[in-house]
Amino acid sequence: MPQSIGANDARSALTTVEHSRQQVIDEIDMPRWYWLGLAAGWFGMGVISDFGPGWLALSVVPIFGAVHASVAHRVLSGRKRTSQLSVRAELAGTHIPALVIGFLVALIGVTIAIALLVNADGASHPATIAGAFAAVIVALDGPQLMAAVRRRAARRAGP
Amino acid sequence: MAEPQFDELIHPSTRLSIVALLAAADWVDFGFVRDRLDLSDSALSKQFATLEEAGYVATERLLVNRRRRVRVRLTDAGRRAFDGHVAALQQIVATADQTVSR
Repeated sequence: MPQSIGANDARSALTTVEHSRQQVIDEIDMPRWYWLGLAAGWFGMGVISDFGPGWLALSVVPIFGAVHASVAHRVLSGRKRTSQLSVRAELAGTHIPALVIGFLVALIGVTIAIALLVNADGASHPATIAGAFAAVIVALDGPQLMAAVRRRAARRAGP
Repeated sequence: MAEPQFDELIHPSTRLSIVALLAAADWVDFGFVRDRLDLSDSALSKQFATLEEAGYVATERLLVNRRRRVRVRLTDAGRRAFDGHVAALQQIVATADQTVSR
């Protein structure tokens, strides 16, 4: 080990390492289009349920689920926000898909609950109102969820 | 925990930044490293050539969406060297802290 390296140099080098690691942690995310597409789809399902023909209202949820499944598997890990890098699994954690799916399942419950409440209140388009509410939650809280994942990854990586 | 092993090749600041960036990823696009570290293409190519010569990084040239991309990744040897270097740096700091606290 070279004698020329002092503690201050070593600290500075460790700070450099930490800074680089943080730049990669900042990339843990889902693409923006994923959240916006999901919000648009959620709202669309509400509109179709209220205004669409019966056969379409019945089939819109499984269609939406199938489209989501075909698209989401590519981005759900949170490790490939862009095509510029793939974050290491041990840094991002392996829990992101379960976290996002859990968030969506909870949101399904919230959507149904709101639709039932709004319907009981006598509103004429309960699915549209509930869908709009859920879409706003997806668009705003989806990115917040991933920000929390990044903070956790930074804490786990530690100095 | 890796065996502390100071690595003269990795230690220079720019190279350490590059290797630390690569260590956190499976692979990284050349342009990502260039933009994050604010280096010119030629300066970064030189650093990669040095690291590649040492067997620490591997580059892969791809055609993605009709665009040429260069992906860089840390090899197993590079990862071992980086982990050992970080452990050595931590050891230097820990030793200094112990000396001060005595």
